[in-house]
Amino acid sequence: MVPYEYYVALSGLLLVLGLIGVIIRKNIIAILLSTELMLNAVNIAFVAFDMKLADVSGQVFVFFILTIAAAEAAIGLGLIMAIYRLRKDVDVNTLTELKL
Amino acid sequence: MSILEQLISGLTFPNLYILLPEIIVLLTAFIVFVLELLSKSKFSITIITTVGLILAFLSTSIIKEGGVTFYGLYLVDTFALLFKAFLIMGTLFVVINFRPYFDAKKSYYGEYYYLTLFALLGTMIMVSSPNLVTFYIGLELSAVATYILAGMFKRDYKSKEGAFKYLIIGGTGTAIISYAIAILYGRTGTFDTLEIAKQVNLNNLDYGVIGGLILLIIGLALKASAVPFHHWTPDAYEGAPTPITAFMATVAKIATYAIILRIMVEAFPFVSKEWALAWAILAALSMIIGNIIALKQENVKRMLAYSSIAHTGYIVAALAAPTGIGISALIFYSLIYLFMSVGAFITLSALEKTPGWTNHIDDFKGLAKKNPVVALAMLIFMFSMLGIPPTIGFMGKLNVFLALIGSNIWWLAIVLVVMSIISAGYYLRVVVYMYMYDPVKTSRHNLAPPEVVTIGIMAIVVLFFGIYPTFFYDISTTVTSLLIASIGR
Repeated sequence: MVPYEYYVALSGLLLVLGLIGVIIRKNIIAILLSTELMLNAVNIAFVAFDMKLADVSGQVFVFFILTIAAAEAAIGLGLIMAIYRLRKDVDVNTLTELKL
Repeated sequence: MSILEQLISGLTFPNLYILLPEIIVLLTAFIVFVLELLSKSKFSITIITTVGLILAFLSTSIIKEGGVTFYGLYLVDTFALLFKAFLIMGTLFVVINFRPYFDAKKSYYGEYYYLTLFALLGTMIMVSSPNLVTFYIGLELSAVATYILAGMFKRDYKSKEGAFKYLIIGGTGTAIISYAIAILYGRTGTFDTLEIAKQVNLNNLDYGVIGGLILLIIGLALKASAVPFHHWTPDAYEGAPTPITAFMATVAKIATYAIILRIMVEAFPFVSKEWALAWAILAALSMIIGNIIALKQENVKRMLAYSSIAHTGYIVAALAAPTGIGISALIFYSLIYLFMSVGAFITLSALEKTPGWTNHIDDFKGLAKKNPVVALAMLIFMFSMLGIPPTIGFMGKLNVFLALIGSNIWWLAIVLVVMSIISAGYYLRVVVYMYMYDPVKTSRHNLAPPEVVTIGIMAIVVLFFGIYPTFFYDISTTVTSLLIASIGR
């Protein structure tokens, strides 16, 4: 059996990967996908700790995170649709009207 | 006894009596949701929302004793009820100003009303959560509803861009907060704040607790828009419709301050030195950077957004002194911040209905000659945010200052005072433009009755309780003593 620490390490890696994706990707769809990746990393962490503690409340929390991730993805895609309709563009370098 | 019977006998009926405000807000939201589909009558939607919010506000005062329900997942105490009453009141004053603004901007949707009510419900769940699960659900309910609200301006690109930035950075914050909860769960095996408090103390600090605490503070700072996690705030606030900005800057913010206080005090009371230092650094950075960037803003709405970052600094600075005085100063400042911020943003929303108004500072030239009453109200709100004595903003800053000095955190107290002086640069600039220039344009400013009522009440509250702050002082002290008494529960 794989020890739970491996899963926790994997989840931390995915979280950092998602964070890097949010920072360096230029396509707004890819940025949205990166935030979803971070939320799924959290799911892995919850299930891993759940396995360690032999408890079920961590798995219940995973359901909440899944629901919220779906809601955020729906809103994010809706906003991307609205932005694309107004600008015909999905690149963050050219989509900058609000500035310091 | 069969398995099914065992399952049912374990269930208890939730104590719905203490959930009365939430139930009223939820029912109002559902009624408005259905009515908006069926009739499209703007008048009835406004009236039903207003009546529902007034009933919910009144129902917070008839709850005689609080309690824990939903198997320990939901806690109604004095702290929660006080914040709920103020959150409902803030939403009420924002909601009545929707219709004049959106009609003038030709961007009316019935959706604004029930989404605002859902966001309010989220903040109400948040402030009464004794458990990290409830906290997370409340936070996300309010955040997800606010993302939609911020991006709903019709055919306006800036609104979409601000909302998208808010969604991405807010989503990152959500992920960070939930990872922090995961680490704390893995370390302590529970989501309950009081159980966490029992297991976390100075003798058993390890990487699990420290990592979880740091991630939790980062996530909460991101939601409260403390520097260096503030980048979404100016864009989302500038892009969103102004009454929605008022909602985001007051109701959502105040609930975040309340939950920061509750989680820090209830879940980590024995490591208070560690988190106090973290919040002190965040507060100092917010005050310095928020105020300095606000100085160079030409757009008044964006300037108020940076001023809200600076106010986050003033408010969380009180957490640097985790004593009774500090907690009481935080509650006092968050409650009074509602009045001045709603007042300033609703004044802006009332002025924005004028054709050709762009929120640029030049638009304020000669406002005192054209419309002396609105200019006077704006002057009062600016003086209150700056902290000039006869207004209530002064009392808020004074309380934080006294709390910091009482705990010997002189460096933060000095930063607070110096940054308050620097903030005069941009608050007084608005006043100077209103009073010392001649009008450029001759366009008239028409105020709708709800806007007159809101601006008037807020200005009177800011002035009256600035002279007589005992009311707010008493309630914040009482709530603080109850909160501290509940630590060892």
